[in-house]
Amino acid sequence: MVQWEWSYVQTPYIIAVWLLLASLAKILFHFSQRWTTVVPESVMLILLGLVLGGVVLIANEKQLYQLEPSLFFLFLLPTIVGDAGYFMPARLFFDNLGAILLYAVVGTLWNAFCTGFCLYGCKLLGIIDARVDAGMMEFLLFGALISAVDPVAVIAVFEEVHVNETLFIIVFGESLLNDAVTVVLYKVYISFVEVGPGNVQTVDYFKGVASFLIVSIGGVLVGLVFAVILGFITRFTKKVRIIEPLFVFLLVYLAYLTAELCSLSSILSMTFCGIGANKYVEANISQKSRTTVKYTMKTLASIAETIIFIFLGISAVDKSKWAWDTGLVSSTLIFISIFRVMGVIGQTWILNRFRLVPLDKIDQVVMSYGGLRGAVAFALVVLLDAKYVKAKDYFVATTIVVIFFTVMFQGLTIKPLVKWLKVPRATNRKPTINEEIHERAFDHILAAVEDIAGLQGYHHWRDKWEQFDKNYLSKLLLRRSVYRKSDLWEVYQKINIRDAISVIDQGGNVLTSARLSLPSVASRASLPEMNVANYLRENGSGVCLDLQVDSVGGVKVEEGTETHHVLTNLYKPRKRYQAHYSRHFMSLGDQERQEREVFQRNMKSRMETYKSGRHKRHKKDRSQKKRRGSDAKEQDTGDKPRRNVSWQDKEPVLVSMEPEADDRGDNSDTEKDEDVGITFVARNAETPKERPKSECCGSPSSALPPAPPSPNLPWKSVGGVGSLPPCVSVETKIIPVDLQQAWNQSISSLESISSPGPGPSSVLSERVHPRLSVLGLGRLVAQRPVSYTPGSTITITPGSVATMAIGSIGSRGGPTPQIAHGAAAFQLFSGRKEEEEEEDGDLTEQQEEARPLMSSPPAPPPPQAPPTSGPGKGRSPRVYVRSLVTAPPTQL
Amino acid sequence: MGASQCSQTHPQKYKQYEDFADRTGFSLEQINNLHKRFRQLSDNTETISRENLENIPALANNPLRKQIIGAFFDKRNQHEEEVGSIQEIGFQQFLMVMSHFRPPGLKMTEEEKEAMRKEKLRFLFNMHDTDNDGTITVDEYRKVVEELMSNNDIGQEAAKAIADAAMLEVASINMPHMGPDDFYEGITFEHFEQILKGLEMESRMNVRFLDVDTSTMRCGKGK
Repeated sequence: MVQWEWSYVQTPYIIAVWLLLASLAKILFHFSQRWTTVVPESVMLILLGLVLGGVVLIANEKQLYQLEPSLFFLFLLPTIVGDAGYFMPARLFFDNLGAILLYAVVGTLWNAFCTGFCLYGCKLLGIIDARVDAGMMEFLLFGALISAVDPVAVIAVFEEVHVNETLFIIVFGESLLNDAVTVVLYKVYISFVEVGPGNVQTVDYFKGVASFLIVSIGGVLVGLVFAVILGFITRFTKKVRIIEPLFVFLLVYLAYLTAELCSLSSILSMTFCGIGANKYVEANISQKSRTTVKYTMKTLASIAETIIFIFLGISAVDKSKWAWDTGLVSSTLIFISIFRVMGVIGQTWILNRFRLVPLDKIDQVVMSYGGLRGAVAFALVVLLDAKYVKAKDYFVATTIVVIFFTVMFQGLTIKPLVKWLKVPRATNRKPTINEEIHERAFDHILAAVEDIAGLQGYHHWRDKWEQFDKNYLSKLLLRRSVYRKSDLWEVYQKINIRDAISVIDQGGNVLTSARLSLPSVASRASLPEMNVANYLRENGSGVCLDLQVDSVGGVKVEEGTETHHVLTNLYKPRKRYQAHYSRHFMSLGDQERQEREVFQRNMKSRMETYKSGRHKRHKKDRSQKKRRGSDAKEQDTGDKPRRNVSWQDKEPVLVSMEPEADDRGDNSDTEKDEDVGITFVARNAETPKERPKSECCGSPSSALPPAPPSPNLPWKSVGGVGSLPPCVSVETKIIPVDLQQAWNQSISSLESISSPGPGPSSVLSERVHPRLSVLGLGRLVAQRPVSYTPGSTITITPGSVATMAIGSIGSRGGPTPQIAHGAAAFQLFSGRKEEEEEEDGDLTEQQEEARPLMSSPPAPPPPQAPPTSGPGKGRSPRVYVRSLVTAPPTQL
Repeated sequence: MGASQCSQTHPQKYKQYEDFADRTGFSLEQINNLHKRFRQLSDNTETISRENLENIPALANNPLRKQIIGAFFDKRNQHEEEVGSIQEIGFQQFLMVMSHFRPPGLKMTEEEKEAMRKEKLRFLFNMHDTDNDGTITVDEYRKVVEELMSNNDIGQEAAKAIADAAMLEVASINMPHMGPDDFYEGITFEHFEQILKGLEMESRMNVRFLDVDTSTMRCGKGK
């Protein structure tokens, strides 16, 4: 019954096995961290290819596999170029377009001609052996294909060397845009070689120039046409979200194929299709689709790159190919290096006369060094017809040597070189809100100054373009709901989410910060808008959210811990790979959405379990709360009535916190011990009712205010009424007076989330959305000053019972009802959200816009350093947060 | 138009240009070009008023035009230790403001670069600090963001939220140790410097002033 159907499955089977092999090889390489930091992956892959090639050769006597040009050009290259183009940082690219074009066109021509002529010269001088049967045209042809910087090699090597963005984009852009030059030169020379050098007429040279223009401009146009089509299509995919990513892949790929079909520059076409469409597509498609597109593209490109390098290695082990001529090989190596350096220096000299920010010597060194040759050259040389190009075998061998030399030698040495030269590295830091604001302000200011000075410079035209884009293009290509959104607003939301995630990520810090951020309304009673209770509730409920879930019972504790683990594991390891243009790892900044999803899921499940567990109690609490709330209203003078909530109606729950050993063990990174991994485990589900006051005050390291047993809470009293407990002012966090209004407003906008009203200004709902408050804490923690490093927290935590966060303990009782309520609201909210994802109607979009969830919580102002807390050791958490969640700023 | 009377043929004018060049760092050609532009804007009079600038058509869509124009009439940008605003500015003042947007030279020392950076930052700061009191208050900052986003119909609330978040960020970066009674009054220049450290001002806030005479290429105001 079982039949051996090898011939039937052969092709896909072999392909699948190769893919598997390549992927496994990658896993193996990354087992050893130390090894991979020194040796670039591309080098390892080539070595592996050499080994595999040797095995095949021994087994078969003949090399079965090699990098087929058709496979390379039709499948492998487009996946890499598509990824590169689509995720190209467009703003950076266009800012440096002049330099890129110069290097790509003039530089490549210079390299091609000089290398070709000099090799011919060497041939005439007898340095190259007479066996190499090639005339001037052949050498020029060879020069053309060997001189182009290769995008695949550049990405592979440079993504591991994080040079600054400008430098990267120039080298990388050059490698993409020189395709047109290479293609044209290659084709022109081939035709020259085929007709024979004697038959070439002057007209043919002009034809060559003309065809360059056609090939390059035509390629770009094809790409842009497809970009417009793609943008337009994604505008209408609202109902078919599931195939959104497919449109992206198909149209970008079609742009490539169409250009290839018309023998235009396919790389240019694909690159510009990607650059052009990115902005509109990303805005149109759903978040999930965005993630899908990103992951799929990166996966494909990564595997394509792996296969290319392995096959390069395998192709090298082939006796039939090796026609070695030392003279040719060495002179080629020398010439391409020399002319690369000369070309870069010469062009940079010209460029620097025009550039506002000149390229200095170090940049030039890296650029010269970055002239890597790769698989494109190999595929082109294999494509040569041995009938016309007699010396093909020599050229193939030389090309392989050149590729290996540039990828392996230069790839290996570029890292130390960059370090040694102290090339400015790419910063992984994400721009802050202030920087984002000013980035945008700059654009307008500079455009305005150019207009006033009557200059029509870069900013002037950029401004013009942006207006055109806003008035026509975006209207055509963007969904109406998206069209209205502001770019700065999105950035702002992103930053907020980022901070929120990092808070969750850090687990215990939420608690600490919340505790420390009890507002002191202090003496500034003059402020009508300040609202302690509300502010407190925000933080308090946030804390409780975290704590109570954990403390509900043994099961929940585990779950909480688990969640924390999941979170930790999800986020932590990625930190290591913050490659800006990395294809192998998503850069962190791009993960935000994803992280948010994880975060939401986790929070949701927590809320659900919590809710089901405590449902009844909440109900009771709520009514209690209401009553109390009205009481409080009478007491609290400054507060807005509807915000009044008293927190003390519940008996506080004692929780003991301890740093979780496992968790901390996981984070081997420096400083991790202090910064993260503290999980607050509720030890006692029995929740002691009496808080040992003496203990609170007695523990010297505790920065906590002792919560008075009386119903008067510290913050209450701070609010102006009631007795002021001794430690409170020390503990409390300050809202700068003039910011209080802002703070309250943002809180109110936070609250509006749970209320149907769309505008942030809408009703201040009574409920506090627990998740929101956590989010609110996001900014909070992110901005905690040095003295609040978790380091000081640790001193409090281990073993000491419940000293932690009296504030939160005090509020533990209080917020409970809110949590329940919040849970409900949350459900509602998430339900709405899902619906929205599906429908994505204008209305919901607008709500989303208005939904302050990720937007509104402005950071609370810096808390004051409590005298009692340990000396500010360690880094500022803010710094930590930044370093934890950072990613490239580009991609605008 | 009017190119001949302000070129080197007039020795007196030439001398004045050299004086300007010393003060502002512009080359004589640049000054000459800017002067032509100045005459154009002022309808061949000696001074420019706000209306002259507001009438530039290319500025119509610029969300920050008010601030920019305001900066031209701000005495603080004239390096003369004065505050307040001027009703009409002459060519020298015009040049002075423009000089804030000079690109750094190829052979600048670190100190010069730093000074230039400070100068550019100060310009920006003055633009935000509308009431000349040395701090950018929340209200002032909100105003900036609001204007910045005025092209998007996103609403004041959003702008406010962003401005407030930004403000809090500034506060937390610069004033980590605030006492219970402290409140953050606003961004001082030092703080401003601090928060924009990440932006390479000296290489960002630049405009290329042309050395060559382009009056023949230009056509009319603002175009």
